[in-house]
Amino acid sequence: MSSTEQGTSSAAPAEPTTAPESAAAPEVPESFYYVHGKDKVVHKVSAGALQHSALIHGMISNLGYTEEQAKANPFPFENIDGDILQMVVDWCNQHKGKPTPPEDTNLPKQKEKLFDLVLAVNYLEIKELLTYCCKQVAMMVKGKSPEEIREIWMIPTDAEDEAAEKEAKKRAGKEAAGETAAAAGDAK
Amino acid sequence: MPIALLKFPTDLLGDIFKLCDPFQLYCLSKCSKRTQRSIQLGGTKKWKLSFRGRNAIVASLDGLHYNFGGTEDPDEYFETQKNWRFDNYMTIPFGEPFDVFFGFLGIFRIVEELDVAFGSFEQFSKAIRELIDRHIEIERIWIGCTPKVEKVDKLMPILNQLNITQKFSCLKKFPSEFRHQFDKYPNRILLHHSFWFNISQLLECTCDRIDLRESILSNQDMDMFFQKWKRPGSFPNLRWLHIAGENIDDKSSILEIIPPILNVNNPRVEVADRLYKHDNIVDPVRITKADGTEGWLKVELGSWPELKFLVLNPIAPNT
Repeated sequence: MSSTEQGTSSAAPAEPTTAPESAAAPEVPESFYYVHGKDKVVHKVSAGALQHSALIHGMISNLGYTEEQAKANPFPFENIDGDILQMVVDWCNQHKGKPTPPEDTNLPKQKEKLFDLVLAVNYLEIKELLTYCCKQVAMMVKGKSPEEIREIWMIPTDAEDEAAEKEAKKRAGKEAAGETAAAAGDAK
Repeated sequence: MPIALLKFPTDLLGDIFKLCDPFQLYCLSKCSKRTQRSIQLGGTKKWKLSFRGRNAIVASLDGLHYNFGGTEDPDEYFETQKNWRFDNYMTIPFGEPFDVFFGFLGIFRIVEELDVAFGSFEQFSKAIRELIDRHIEIERIWIGCTPKVEKVDKLMPILNQLNITQKFSCLKKFPSEFRHQFDKYPNRILLHHSFWFNISQLLECTCDRIDLRESILSNQDMDMFFQKWKRPGSFPNLRWLHIAGENIDDKSSILEIIPPILNVNNPRVEVADRLYKHDNIVDPVRITKADGTEGWLKVELGSWPELKFLVLNPIAPNT
């Protein structure tokens, strides 16, 4: 794993802040965890921000890591691209401890990343962000004809689907034949 | 920037489809057979269809209506508009209305209302079979007084096999030899020219609202009904009963009272259903079931004899 440690782009502090002396009760220092995606770049995220993700929240509940242990054991999400994980982390930080509004203007705008973002958010079980993303996907085809929808959502025609299916069957048949031949060779 | 929608897992597709309106879902279903299957597997919001046998279909939910109307001009296909009549309207290629309806059933799984109004007996019987085979839930069936469909009486046994949940309305006058027995009752029935609905059927009826017009039910029948109603546990669903018919008269008693039956005391009392406020009775007589349930009865004679019965406590006593 890369040793690069990257602070989040949001207002989340790099280190836990100390409670002001004048406070009536001492504040419990915020705990932080570390996550990385496919690019191995580590993101430091507060437990509060991570609460948005049902998956991560479930993982860290009752973990009781010290700062050192958390640093030494970042959660690996090898199926998520680094830039997508960064977007997700940013969103979680921006919405830390806040009720999420019905329309989210902080939603990442890059349409080209939307597909991967939706998959990542779905995997990480971030319900509100998933709803926003799905809404954005649905809005892509608002008022569009079937032909336009086919282009926007990259939907193959029936003929293309049939051809792809035939090709897949042919390939599977060849692979099976190859395996049989190999097995026969081994038997000899 | 396009995205490969069909590469999403099915549950995610369902999340997206639930955010799509009926126009989007319809157009998506026209993209390919695979998108049709994806919509079926992923699921949508519970949009409900209304169909009358003509080239118009409505998908509705929570007061939102999406109207689909036929056009023969390909330039107008999939055009959406708002006009004086409809908030949401899309023109689509229609062809044979029943085939279009069957296509819609592949996307939307609930029929809010099937109106037996236009089309042939054969078309409707085929449509009903299709609904039965696909286990489609039908909320309401409406048969108007002058449907353009012939032999509607012959459709009734087939309609009986449908899963009708909310209301069955039939205003059509059937031939005098017509007989029909419901296999299963929806919540409400409204039957005009209900000569075929006899006391045996009323005694077995499980509806919460029963409205029988031009009924043959007599005072003796109604006395029998109320004797049964008074028994604990009988007619647990019944809230409203309205019978209009010439056999309600002053020749014999209902619950030992010769009609008319009404409360002539002051202060006057009006009872009304909380949900269906038009189902109300002024000056009814209270009758009580053995288990303490209260019902309110009024029988009026004159040119249009009618019996109204509401199972509810009064909500608006008038003084």
